[in-house]
Amino acid sequence: MSVSTAAREPNVFARIVRHRADYLYIAPALGVMLLVIGYPIYDTIYLSFFNTPPSLAMADKIFVGTDNYVRILTSEAFLDVTINTLIWTAFSTFFAFALGLGAALALDRQFVGRGLLRGILLIPYVISAVAAAYIWRWLYHSDFGVIGALAVASGITDRPINFLDNVDTSLPSLIVVNVWKEFSFAMIMMLAGLQTVPEQLHRAAQVDGAGVFQRFWHITMPHLKGVTLVTVLLLLVANLNSFTIPWIMTAGGPAGSSDIWITAIYQLAFERIRFGVASAYSVILFVVMMSMGYFYVRALTGKDEATPG
Amino acid sequence: MAEVRLVDIVKNYGAFTAVDHVSLTIADGEFVALVGPSGCGKTTSLNLVAGLIEQTAGDIFIGDRRVNGLDPKDRDIAMVFQNYALYPNKTVFKNLAFPLKMRKLPRADIDRKVRAAAKVLDIEHLLERRPRELSGGQQQRVALGRALVRDPRAFLMDEPLSNLDAKLRGQMRAELKRFHQDLHATVIYVTHDQLEAVTMADRMAVMNGGKLQQYDTPARVFSNPVNIFVAGFVGSPAMNLLYGLMEGANRVGRDGWAVELSAENAGRAARATGREVVLGARHSTIALHREHVAGAVPGRVYTVEPTGDVTFVHVRVAQTIVVVSVAPSVMLAIDDPVWLGFDQNKLHLFDGTTGDAL
Amino acid sequence: MRARVHGDRGWGIARVVFLALLTLFTLLPMVWMLLTSMKTQFAASQYPPEWWPRNVTFEQYFILLSPANETGREFLRYMFNSLWVSFATTVLSVMVAVPAAYAFSRFRFPGRNLLFYSVLLRNMFPAVVFLMPLFILMRWLHLVNTELSLILTYLTFGLPLSIWLLKGFYDNIPAQLEQAARIDGATRFQAFIQIVMPLSSPGIIATAIYSFILAWNEYVYALTFLNDKSKLTLPVGLQRFFTEYTTNWPGLMAASFITSVPVVVLFLVLQKYFVRALTEGAVKA
Repeated sequence: MSVSTAAREPNVFARIVRHRADYLYIAPALGVMLLVIGYPIYDTIYLSFFNTPPSLAMADKIFVGTDNYVRILTSEAFLDVTINTLIWTAFSTFFAFALGLGAALALDRQFVGRGLLRGILLIPYVISAVAAAYIWRWLYHSDFGVIGALAVASGITDRPINFLDNVDTSLPSLIVVNVWKEFSFAMIMMLAGLQTVPEQLHRAAQVDGAGVFQRFWHITMPHLKGVTLVTVLLLLVANLNSFTIPWIMTAGGPAGSSDIWITAIYQLAFERIRFGVASAYSVILFVVMMSMGYFYVRALTGKDEATPG
Repeated sequence: MAEVRLVDIVKNYGAFTAVDHVSLTIADGEFVALVGPSGCGKTTSLNLVAGLIEQTAGDIFIGDRRVNGLDPKDRDIAMVFQNYALYPNKTVFKNLAFPLKMRKLPRADIDRKVRAAAKVLDIEHLLERRPRELSGGQQQRVALGRALVRDPRAFLMDEPLSNLDAKLRGQMRAELKRFHQDLHATVIYVTHDQLEAVTMADRMAVMNGGKLQQYDTPARVFSNPVNIFVAGFVGSPAMNLLYGLMEGANRVGRDGWAVELSAENAGRAARATGREVVLGARHSTIALHREHVAGAVPGRVYTVEPTGDVTFVHVRVAQTIVVVSVAPSVMLAIDDPVWLGFDQNKLHLFDGTTGDAL
Repeated sequence: MRARVHGDRGWGIARVVFLALLTLFTLLPMVWMLLTSMKTQFAASQYPPEWWPRNVTFEQYFILLSPANETGREFLRYMFNSLWVSFATTVLSVMVAVPAAYAFSRFRFPGRNLLFYSVLLRNMFPAVVFLMPLFILMRWLHLVNTELSLILTYLTFGLPLSIWLLKGFYDNIPAQLEQAARIDGATRFQAFIQIVMPLSSPGIIATAIYSFILAWNEYVYALTFLNDKSKLTLPVGLQRFFTEYTTNWPGLMAASFITSVPVVVLFLVLQKYFVRALTEGAVKA
């Protein structure tokens, strides 16, 4: 008359059957994710081996093996775009993180208006990247831009600088905008991390005679290791993926001087309608992202991953 | 109120057996304590009765109804949790009303019953507060109140006093006991504190490693523990256990100590399956002598713990510490030589190989 | 001793100066946007610039927000589209994320960890990489040029973080509360709705505001999936404005400002929830 006399060590299949109702809860989430992520991954990899017609009539595509990959990797533009991407990603990440960490440290104590200040610093992060891009295009404007005018007024140059239409300044100008937009993300991440540093440790170190810098180095930094890793990874990923600011401000120009992988892929796909080559390009980017994703999950989960589910 | 019966219950988690063939009958109106160290399966057993988890094998009856596979809500039981599990977003009133609301009682009845329960527990003035505004003792009362408002067939309590401070715990023990007697309630009470079991329960079920060790009145569990585990678990300070070997027909000893057994005890010791025999003696059954007495075991004072009305002396005998109680007037210094005399009539003997009482 | 106090004061000054500079860096571009939006087109096209608008005008705002003219009708249309897409995305996100997060927190089904981490990996995928296959997929589903194509896509943007965040909330709600409710006569579902849901409302708010802001600001997919003028959302609409009225900087700045207002207000009001949404996972790790 017993309820269930399951085997002592039920196999995976038996466990899945026993927990079948549990899957209902995650089914909608998984369904959407599979449709909007699983399928596209498959399709991107698949298309990367084909030559696709500009009409996008996929029935007419031609299998070309690894031609698309070879073409990308051997093209001269690829090297330039890759260098731009590295510069863009590395500098954006570095400056956003440095400013964010500095802001977090400066905000990590109680004072009147702290919440408001944090809110103000976060505004660039929450507004639309399109709006941000236009605001900065206007600031950088070659004739009426306020930055150029300020540079002239303060005697740095005698003519307004053409920030965005100059191969030497376009990429750095974009990086400034990007840092403006995302440094506060690093700020709140690090601020949250700082709040996990036990106050007692600081007191103890103060009693032991440690100065501001020593306390930062020996107490704060070790506590921030995990958050730092996650923050830097998220910034790297966001920067490798950023499209809106470069696209709206320069669209890769002038003369490809601000072209990065993402904008190059978009141009290939939606301006030159070469989905096959663009897919191969995506797969390359994808491999880079996945290796970072591995570190992301590891950083995010720490020891948690080892606990049996 | 109803009888609760567990018949040959088994609960497995994968390869791990949390409850191992436990059979237990709690009579209608009886207060039964499930005691044991953490991980012994007592809380699992309680959750099985509640229906929060389902047994792997065996049957559970509440009254004459077999409740296997029934949802908790259909078992008509009430439960008090260790951390009280009060709904933090509801007022005390709404906490108490929740079980009645779920049973779709008319509003007027809910109001009357909640106020009646609040009166019994002396929490009427707290009805509009939220749980986090209450002290631990008040929360405890609300949790009890939520169980009381309806008339369940059994009360299940999972360590309800363990989060209270010592003084409050003593007070609540008395109240719970009184409450049980007034209501003639069937209570299954899980605790790791043998003192709670001994003071409140009609019968106690001692569990270890998922198995039921002994199920009897506290007095009999105390005086006749069935094995070394029960002997060591029930009573405070715990029973002194001396792990010895038979050295001849009526002598037990080991590296530096030996106890001569009476003829009767020697007869019991002879039933041991091997040479290993464990002597068990409660602190109050051991006489402490300042000089050598025939048959007494020599030792040295290790520490002295005065508690006010009785003083516990820890005596080092070879490799073991033996705790003996003496009158507070006895003055002893550390390292004083003493001799311990064991009362042969109150000596417990256990088979050192199987652990069972002899 | 004195030296250390002195050192601390030096740091204190550096801190204030740094914060002041950072605030200027953050605010000045936005201040310039606002000032420009209140100038006439002529005043905006001056060199050197008019530092402070001599003739303050709200003309651009009237044009953009008035249904009486073509431009205003279009802009209001974009705004309505954005609102609708963001709102639908938010509601759906919560509806999908809540049960999933609850299951990941409470149940121990096989493959739980694997599924959970693959959901998290969504954060790793560049939007543009998915653009082509999704475009093909949406064409095949006949969803190109519909709001649904955006809602469906945006849903997956916010979902990983929402699930992660809510799971953290459910992990912190003792299982005993639900057990108590079930013993008190509630079904599993009632226990969830009546006891667990209200307790996780801060998480749900955080999830909702995060999804809303993501959807409101999204650009690439809206750019690719929509080409019918009447369906556009604000970010794409903004871009269209720019190509049509290239020299009307005050108009563009006013439009940028209006586009930013809803999210900034929402964010400032619900700041703590939003910050929590962003930081929760990382700090716990």
